[in-house]
Amino acid sequence: MLTELLERFVTAPRPRRVLPGVAAAFLVSAGTASALGPAEVPAVDSGETEMLDLEKDELKFGFIKLTDCAPIVIAKEKGFFDDEGLSVEVIAQPNWKTLLDNVISGELDGAHMLSGQPIAATIGFGTKAHIITAFTMDLNGNGITVSNAIWEQMQENDPALDTDQPSHPISAAALKPIVEERIADGEKLQMGMVFPVSTHNYEIRYWLAAAGIHPGMYTETDIGGRTDAQVELSVTPPPMMPATLEAGNIQGYCVGEPWNQQAVAKGIGVPVTTNYDVWKNNPEKVFGVTKAWADENPQTMLAVTKALIRAGRWLDETDDAGYLVNREEAARILSRPDYVGADYDVIKNSMTGYFYFQRTDKRAMPDFNVFYKYFCTYPWYSDGVWFLTQMRRWGQITEPKPAEWYHATAKEVYKPDIYLAAARMLVEEGFILEEEIPWDTDGYKPATDEFIDGKTYDGKDPLGYLASFQIGNPE
Amino acid sequence: MLQTLKTTLLKVIDLTALGFLEPYVRLAYGEEPTKQLRKIGQFTVVPVLVIIAGLLVWATMISPNVKTKSGELPSPTVVASAAGSLHQFAIREGNKEAAYVATGEEREAWLADVEAELESIGAEVESANATVVEARKAEAASKSERIAPLQAKVDALKTAMKEERAAKQAALKEQAASLPVGDNPQRAAYLGELAGLNAWLDEQKAEIDTIDDQIKLIRDEKDPAVLAALSQQTAVAEREQYLKKMAEQLGEDNRQARVATGQEKLDVAKTTFFNAEGAAAFNAAKKVISAEERLAKTEESSYAKPATLYYQIQRSILCVFAGFFLGSAIAIPIGVLCGLSTTFMGAMTPFIALFKPVSPIVWLPIALIVASALIPDPDKHWFTQWMWELPLIGQYKINPAFMASAVTVALCSLWATMVNTALGVASVDKDHLNVAKVLRLGFWSRLFKIVLPSSLPLVFAGLRISLGVGWMVLIAAELLSSSEGIGKFVWDQFNNGASDSFAKMMVVVFIVGAIGLLLDRIMVVFQRLVSFEGSIAAV
Repeated sequence: MLTELLERFVTAPRPRRVLPGVAAAFLVSAGTASALGPAEVPAVDSGETEMLDLEKDELKFGFIKLTDCAPIVIAKEKGFFDDEGLSVEVIAQPNWKTLLDNVISGELDGAHMLSGQPIAATIGFGTKAHIITAFTMDLNGNGITVSNAIWEQMQENDPALDTDQPSHPISAAALKPIVEERIADGEKLQMGMVFPVSTHNYEIRYWLAAAGIHPGMYTETDIGGRTDAQVELSVTPPPMMPATLEAGNIQGYCVGEPWNQQAVAKGIGVPVTTNYDVWKNNPEKVFGVTKAWADENPQTMLAVTKALIRAGRWLDETDDAGYLVNREEAARILSRPDYVGADYDVIKNSMTGYFYFQRTDKRAMPDFNVFYKYFCTYPWYSDGVWFLTQMRRWGQITEPKPAEWYHATAKEVYKPDIYLAAARMLVEEGFILEEEIPWDTDGYKPATDEFIDGKTYDGKDPLGYLASFQIGNPE
Repeated sequence: MLQTLKTTLLKVIDLTALGFLEPYVRLAYGEEPTKQLRKIGQFTVVPVLVIIAGLLVWATMISPNVKTKSGELPSPTVVASAAGSLHQFAIREGNKEAAYVATGEEREAWLADVEAELESIGAEVESANATVVEARKAEAASKSERIAPLQAKVDALKTAMKEERAAKQAALKEQAASLPVGDNPQRAAYLGELAGLNAWLDEQKAEIDTIDDQIKLIRDEKDPAVLAALSQQTAVAEREQYLKKMAEQLGEDNRQARVATGQEKLDVAKTTFFNAEGAAAFNAAKKVISAEERLAKTEESSYAKPATLYYQIQRSILCVFAGFFLGSAIAIPIGVLCGLSTTFMGAMTPFIALFKPVSPIVWLPIALIVASALIPDPDKHWFTQWMWELPLIGQYKINPAFMASAVTVALCSLWATMVNTALGVASVDKDHLNVAKVLRLGFWSRLFKIVLPSSLPLVFAGLRISLGVGWMVLIAAELLSSSEGIGKFVWDQFNNGASDSFAKMMVVVFIVGAIGLLLDRIMVVFQRLVSFEGSIAAV
């Protein structure tokens, strides 16, 4: 059904314009991927929506109270769903597990998901279900926070950190002596992350391992991921992080916003680094639905993707000076109690491009949350492959796999053809510009070395990437 | 006539166990005024005074002193304003819903109102923003003024310490160069000196740390003026947002407006179809059909309203009764059988003993799995579809999470009813049973004429306990299953972690308490109605 529909978009003769993008996506690997997208998003004169034949027009989407749920909330509040003829209810979920279960059970039609969730569900790590995504919700947006006590010890270990505005990126090197001291005392440093297959888990592991600290391996019998760990990681739901840190159960955590800024606002911890420093412009959340749902409701899926792309664009719209014009309004909407619900002031920091590392250390981070720029919303195969490499690296995938498996699995989950069909319609309707979408890509971002450890990641060579790490499974 | 009214009133008061009202009635009839006044003092004035005292203690002693980094205990006024904002949220969402379906002149008048308000609010927003900026500036200035001397002190201490450390270390190094080999006592003294230096350094550091902590405390202080300005800003900004949305709901996004656009499109499609020739006619016809379908959907569409606290309260009450009736339907028959037959009781005892202490937290995931297995796709399953079509109950969208919560309530609350029923049935007066034997009553008549009526008071005592337990369990169950209701509200607020979240949770404390009280009173009435001394005949 879905393919049939897409074929219609691809092959039907169009009076206005040929479709180089969609066709290219089908022919796959038509040349190299272009450079990474526009960095500025000008306002467009709005167009008119052409209605699709929706199979279902009353939808329920789930989200977790994090600022990066913004595209779903904005699409609802700014009427982008309405424009597509969709009536959408947006429902907060208590944790990632329940959210996924509700999507699988059909209680929810789709949800704001961790990038690792559709992949893990599809390969059967945790709950097994075929989940797909046609829309990446955002880039970056996480931080790693340590408790005040640990921060003071880190400052002692590295006097360069002992200023009001230490230079970034801060690696975990200053943390290593603390970890070793603790182990000598017979205990291990405890840190929190939000879900076993969350970006946060991989990011905090990456950050620790980049400084030679072993964060522990998953094995068939150890599903907590603590085998050989020098720092033990445990799962804590995002909103509980500050309280758990303050209670002393964990000494640090990796989580999305507003929970790092909350630690600063409450004076209980210091964000040492953001995931922008761990991996510049890394993929964060995706919009996931079950494959069965997408097959059953292909037109609705397209309409939803259209609305979400428009929401992402609205969030990243800038004026001539490069100022993000809509972010304050977005922060105001998100601070409503039925959405993220945290104080406007706290949400506003990161949403408008600022980040407090300490009370005295406010920095401009215009790319802390990216919702549209840099071809952000496109569902890149290379993102999927990266998550798969990390799952293999830390033993969540227990067997070594051939490179083709990585590519095939990423293609099972990421569906750029749906995305491109939706984007094509938006271009024709006048909501987005032609150059904002990577029409000709083969789905792999160019190789990048913008990691905290300087390693090069090329999505086409997952095995080579795995082999480059000292800590973790090398193949 | 008046006298009968008095007796009835007193009976009703007695029945509902609202004993504190009794002296008022008697006083109204001029019966022993001093005694009644004393009773009023005892049962009305004293409790009211205690409540007031409690509020005062809360407001003046507890809430200002309980402040942690995670938040502070909200004062009664803050809780009251949180209740206000919850109410406002509900009202506003209700308005949005109504605005979406508003039509004709009503819609136009409303839209004009909203637009006028929207125009006037611009200035308010700006002034609120300016106030915040100014309050922030003032705060920063006063803080830096207070911090500056402390910071200077810290800096001075630090430089002094560094200089002195350098000097002492240099001296010690020099001394080390001239340490004679083999002179152990001198070397020990040298060690002592080095240790002394370290101790002195630690002392200095501790002193610096104390001042640093003071600085941190000042930085962490929240200026009331800034807080007030911020909350004012939030209130205005939220109102602006609401008005904007209302303008859309009444204007271009209004259902009537959408229907009109849909109608236009349909007309265009129809014209195209009527003029189409050949193969094009088929496609044009398809478009007409789809335009018609769309129009029909638009005509029935409604605003996707988020759950308000009132809705959540209603849904929770529905859920607790669903669980309660389900539990009672299981507990009473089993209880009766247990009471009638000691063999059956013996057979059931292991189950009762084993399952009674199981916590709701354990039942819930099991119930959730079972409920989701029975209803794999709630949007299509006949049972949920049927439930959603029902009048009154339909709007509460009964889903697997709701069912799981209700089942959990049932599983946790049925034990009190079961045990009490068994006890009630087992303790039926032997004389009554003997009379039944003499009359040669059959099993069913014996059950319905003798056993059940005489065990009802105990059964209802059990039901009362069950409902109380169920209500407590429900909040926890909803919190875990994220079934829309009071429990989910609490969890969402906890997750929000905004400055008013604690206050909103406190509001729920009172709501849950009040509803629990009400449910208990209802059960008391039933319990008295079925018991001998309080039966309906007596009223």
